Amino acid sequence: MLHSPTQTDAVIIGAGPVGLFQVFELGLLEIKAHVIDSLPEAGGQCIELYPDKPIYDIPAIPVCTGRELTENLLQQIKPFGAQFHLGQEVTRLEKQSDGRFLISTSKDQHFLSKTVFIAGGVGAFQPRTLNLDGIEAFVGKQVFYSVKNPEQFSGKKIVICGGGDAALDWALHFVDKAASVTLIHRRDDFKAAPASIAKMRELCKNKQMQLLIGQITHYQVEHDQISKITVTDIESKEHLISVDDLLIFFGLSPKLGPIADWGLDIDRKQVAVDTEKFQTSTPGIYAVGDINIYPGKKKLILSGFHEAALAAFAAAAYLNPEKHIQLQYTTTSTKLHKVLGVSPPTFE
Amino acid sequence: MTYVVTESCIRCKYTDCVDVCPVDCFREGPNFLVIDPDECIDCAVCVPECPVNAIYAEDDVPSDQQAFIKLNADLSSSWTSITKSKSGLPDADEWKDVKNKLDQLVK
Repeated sequence: MLHSPTQTDAVIIGAGPVGLFQVFELGLLEIKAHVIDSLPEAGGQCIELYPDKPIYDIPAIPVCTGRELTENLLQQIKPFGAQFHLGQEVTRLEKQSDGRFLISTSKDQHFLSKTVFIAGGVGAFQPRTLNLDGIEAFVGKQVFYSVKNPEQFSGKKIVICGGGDAALDWALHFVDKAASVTLIHRRDDFKAAPASIAKMRELCKNKQMQLLIGQITHYQVEHDQISKITVTDIESKEHLISVDDLLIFFGLSPKLGPIADWGLDIDRKQVAVDTEKFQTSTPGIYAVGDINIYPGKKKLILSGFHEAALAAFAAAAYLNPEKHIQLQYTTTSTKLHKVLGVSPPTFE
Repeated sequence: MTYVVTESCIRCKYTDCVDVCPVDCFREGPNFLVIDPDECIDCAVCVPECPVNAIYAEDDVPSDQQAFIKLNADLSSSWTSITKSKSGLPDADEWKDVKNKLDQLVK
C-alpha cells in the first residue's frame, strides 16, 4: 500500500559531495530539501571509494580526504535542516498530473516534490553479488550480503567470501562461534587491516579456520538447501566444502540502474542537461555532478558545486516564476545571515 | 574521452575492474580485457581496482602504450561483455611484472 507521500519543494537523489552542496545552494534560496542515498551514510564516492585518499583540487582547500570533505560539507549544510533518507535507492521517478514528481524508494518511502535534483554520481552503490546461476533464490536464507543477526550463524558451517575488512572482521568474529569458518578469496592479497590479516593467517595455521584462494564455481542443493559448494582454486583444482551459510562481502559497486527508465534524455548512459540551468529534458528535474553530461563536461567535484549553484537558482525561478530571484552574497546579505543562523559581521 | 586498458593486463586478466564498472563497459578476450570507448563514462572507478595498474585515462596513456587506445576500440567491437570478476589467469602472477608483452596478446 502506498503510504501518504512526503510533500516537499525539492528532493535530491544522491548524498555525495555535490548532492550535499545542492542542499547548501537550495538552502540559501530558502528551499528545503530531502536527500535520498543508497549508502547508509552521506558522502557517496568520497566515503565509499576514497575516504582516506587526499583530494587536492577543492578550491581553497589545499588538501583534504574524502571523509574530511564530507564532514565539512555536512557541517556547512547544517543550518538548512535537510532530511536524509539513507540506505535506500530511488526506484521510481514519475511526473504527476499536477506537475509534481512522485519519487519512490526501495524502503517504500514516497515523496511528492515540485523539483528533483539527480546527483547520483556514477550510480547507486549496491553489494556485488555472487555470480552463480539460481543463487538468488537462497539470498536471505543461506546467502547473505550483510550480517544483521550474528547469533543466527552460531554453530553453523560458514563460508565467508571476500578480501576486505568486512570479510576478515566477520571471519575473526565467527571463528570461535561457528562450527567451522572457511574464508575464500580470489587472490592471496587482502585489502584489510594488517592486524586482521595477521590474525587470520595465525588462525589458519592453528587450523581454527581455513583459507582457500579461488572462487565458488558450483553449489549442490539437497532438500531445497545448499549443502555443498565447489571452490575452484587458481590451479583449477576443485575443493568440495560442506556449508550451512554463505556470507558474501565483495564490497559495493556503483550501478547506473533505474535512471535510464525515468524518461529523461540520456547520452552515453548519463543525463543530458543544459549549461544554464543544468536542467534535464524534463523541466523541474535537474542533474548535477558526475551523472550529467554536456559539451565540455569534466567530472570534477568543483564542477558539480558550480552546477549545483546554477541549478538551485533555476529551481527557485521554476518554483516561483513571478518572483525575481536576486543574487545575494553571504558576506553582506543580512537575509543570508539569517538563513545561515549567523550573526552579521560588525565593522569597526 | 575514455579509459584504456594497457599492456600490464596481458596474460594476467585479474578482472577486478569489471565488478566496479557502473556501465559494464569491459570486454573480454582470451588473455586481455579492453574498455569499450563508446560505453565508458570516464568515471575512473576502475583505475585503482587494477592490481597491475593497467588502466589509464586516454589522455594519460604512456607514450609507449599509445597503440592500446586503438586496440581497446578495435577489440571491443568483437569481444564479448564481461560483467563479473573471475579468477585471474593461472600464471598471472608470473606475468604481472613482465614488460613488452604485446606479442603475447591473443586476439
